[in-house]
Amino acid sequence: MALSLSEAGQNVVAGTFGRAMKRAGEALGSMSGEIIDVQTPMLQRCSAADVLTMAGGPESIVLAVYVGIWGSIEGHALLLFSPPDAHRLAQILLAGLLGPGELPIDATTDVLAYDELELSALQEAGNVTISAFLNELGMHLHEPCQPTPPQVVIEMAGAVLDAVLLDLVSDADQMLAAKTTFSEGGRAIDGTLLVLPRADSLRVLLDALGALGI
Amino acid sequence: MTLTGNPSLLVAGIGEMVMSSSSDAHLVAYGLGSCIALAVWDPRTKVGGLAHFMLPNGPANAASPVKFIDTGLDAFLKSVEAKGASMNRSVLKAAGGAAMLTVGGGLAIGKRNAEAMNTALAQRGLSLSATALGGTAGRTVQLEVGDGRFLIKSLSSVTEL
Repeated sequence: MALSLSEAGQNVVAGTFGRAMKRAGEALGSMSGEIIDVQTPMLQRCSAADVLTMAGGPESIVLAVYVGIWGSIEGHALLLFSPPDAHRLAQILLAGLLGPGELPIDATTDVLAYDELELSALQEAGNVTISAFLNELGMHLHEPCQPTPPQVVIEMAGAVLDAVLLDLVSDADQMLAAKTTFSEGGRAIDGTLLVLPRADSLRVLLDALGALGI
Repeated sequence: MTLTGNPSLLVAGIGEMVMSSSSDAHLVAYGLGSCIALAVWDPRTKVGGLAHFMLPNGPANAASPVKFIDTGLDAFLKSVEAKGASMNRSVLKAAGGAAMLTVGGGLAIGKRNAEAMNTALAQRGLSLSATALGGTAGRTVQLEVGDGRFLIKSLSSVTEL
């Protein structure tokens, strides 16, 4: 059954994402030694078709960091980037470890080639970002929810999404999608954070945040 | 060999089927992960159909006609027959059923989809002449109705099945 949210309810959820992304930025900043700001200027409930449109279509290649969610809320979360943006984010995250231009892979010649170090950094970016959301959510739950270890997949957007949609046995309008911008200095990188709770977990999530019935 | 744009491009989204008897029609299912695409092509009447199945089993009254293999396969085969194909002559090929995500071990639906497709076809006295099932890669598939070519595109290649 579809759950409807008032504008006030949507603002409550957006506020949760916003606080979580602030914490994610702080964590990524301490990881990289740079000042990283993470913003979620746009949050929406949407369908799989909407998300595929946001990603550029089902055949568009994305780098996705997947984290499963289990506990009092169950489901899936994905942080999606275009391959060039993923390289740029990896450069920012690894800046404290490597000097400028020292990335082992030349992303200008093959945007789909990633060094292990880059993949590890991006995996951690997804882990930190999604865990920040779960931690923020956990403050409102009697029992916290836990993330699985992250997994990075570089694939067609449709193929990545159908893997989680099939597990939800649904293509209903129950995803929470947040356009997410990672900024450092003058550089800004766009990603999309998707939270896909199981149908019963979506109600628990929204109820815990106080987003229902207001 | 590439998957090309075509004025008669018919797209089967998740849980959808498309079919045609037009010689310039290309039937496409984009970005298959764990889902399975089943292609049927009759070499005599040159009628083709493509279905994009989502799950092994489910209710018969699903909103999408071919969302589930067990309840949607007959509807798909009958629709292709109604268009002019004979199942006695038709060539059947399938692709998809990949395991895109391995974390947690709970997302092995691709393998179950592949098994369900083989079982459901065998129950109807049918079999697949060629497959690209399983693995860990996403696929886009295209059936060219004019000559029955079935192309599989992944990130690294385009191959004919």
